[in-house]
Amino acid sequence: MSDRRRVLICLLAVFFANLCGAQTTSAGPELRIAAAADLQPVLPPLLTEFENQTGIHAAASYQSSATLATQIINGAPFDLFLAADLSFPQRVIAAGLSEETEPIAYARGTLVLWARNDGRFRSLSMDALKDTALKSVAMANPEHAPYGRAARAALEHLGLYDTLKPKLVIAENIAQTAQFVESGNADLGLISLTSAITPRLRASGHYVPVPPDAYPPILQGAVILKHPAGTQPAHRFLDFLASAPIQQQIEAAGLAPAK
Amino acid sequence: MDLQALALTLRLAVVTTALLLAIAVPLAAWIVFTRSRLRALVEAVSTLPLLLPPTVLGFYLLVLLGPRTALGRAWIHLTGHPLAFSFSGLVVGSAIYSLPFAVQPLVAGFAGVDTALLEQARLLGASRLRLLRQVLLPLSTRSVLTAAVLCFMHTVGEFGVVLMIGGNIPGATRTLSILIYDQVQDFAYAQANRTSLLLVAVSLAALVLLYSQRRPALGEARRG
Repeated sequence: MSDRRRVLICLLAVFFANLCGAQTTSAGPELRIAAAADLQPVLPPLLTEFENQTGIHAAASYQSSATLATQIINGAPFDLFLAADLSFPQRVIAAGLSEETEPIAYARGTLVLWARNDGRFRSLSMDALKDTALKSVAMANPEHAPYGRAARAALEHLGLYDTLKPKLVIAENIAQTAQFVESGNADLGLISLTSAITPRLRASGHYVPVPPDAYPPILQGAVILKHPAGTQPAHRFLDFLASAPIQQQIEAAGLAPAK
Repeated sequence: MDLQALALTLRLAVVTTALLLAIAVPLAAWIVFTRSRLRALVEAVSTLPLLLPPTVLGFYLLVLLGPRTALGRAWIHLTGHPLAFSFSGLVVGSAIYSLPFAVQPLVAGFAGVDTALLEQARLLGASRLRLLRQVLLPLSTRSVLTAAVLCFMHTVGEFGVVLMIGGNIPGATRTLSILIYDQVQDFAYAQANRTSLLLVAVSLAALVLLYSQRRPALGEARRG
């Protein structure tokens, strides 16, 4: 019994030593980014490159723009908000959480219609949405996710929203939308180009761009949040994002330049 | 107040509770009275959803029971639609997720029944079903009630699984917990507050009702 207790105490000691260790290893400046879910396939390699260039460790949390705005307004500790539209950064500015007066447009998103290769839609066009055998179409929540808002606008523009309404499956953000359709649970998905051109989705399915005139442009806005230690790292990240090689990289990952 | 979401949530909770009691009563009786070596494993599996995060369940329901597996295709063949994004899918998810809340109180209740009474009934020639219906259940009403109320409330309060497999469809999968999440996301704090307060009030009332049942005094339980 006493042997067992000794082992337990040793384990606890190691456990607490690790806990303490984890807290002291964070040396150097840090940048915490609240990033829209369409950036999930785009941002990780950029964060590594940014850290290599500047020594600033950057970490991102991915959610729908609305979820992130709610969290930021309620005190979530982020330094930079990369949203998928301009309205959610504007809300954050209106809440007095930034020195800026306007969000900075850093990219433009593209909406695509995606289907699995092994599904019903071998050759895909927007007409697939009129197929009567269609059971479900995944889209992001129009209230929370700018891509969802664009999807609803596009369906309304094409005169399909009312007929499709019972077949719409609403995902919490654009990354979950891709997952609903990639897993085969939904027949079609209105997803972001950033998801559609990842190697995984390229291998399992195919896409057509939704006609750009069918929805208002998905202008993605950034806002730098107030930080007691200064906003230097966030400014450096936005400069990095605007640099020519990174802009090229972003475009290859499915985000068009903002202008 | 979204009455559709309220009605859906109540329907889900009623169906899940009924299904769970039907499964958990025989299961709990088996756990208490079996001499099988599998008892520990079965009891462990029935408790597992208590410590697994809902994301594990949501993930497996979505992918393992999705249209890309044989199991998922069998489900589609039977019901005509995938498990995800449907009311029946939510029932399956909720039933698994709330299983421990049905089994645990029933196991405790059945284990507290005097074995001498069961022995006498058996000697008098009562079948297993009769033992369950006329001895075990009447002596464990409080446990059955506890199991039912806990299953019901746990299903009402479920969020993670529904978020992962529901698809937020009004009338089919948009439950109160999802509605509150949506309202918070939309900065509709007043509405979120109303919906949340309703849930707090209903849950509290159910629990007060449950706990106001007179507890049998020590020793009284043995006599029934």
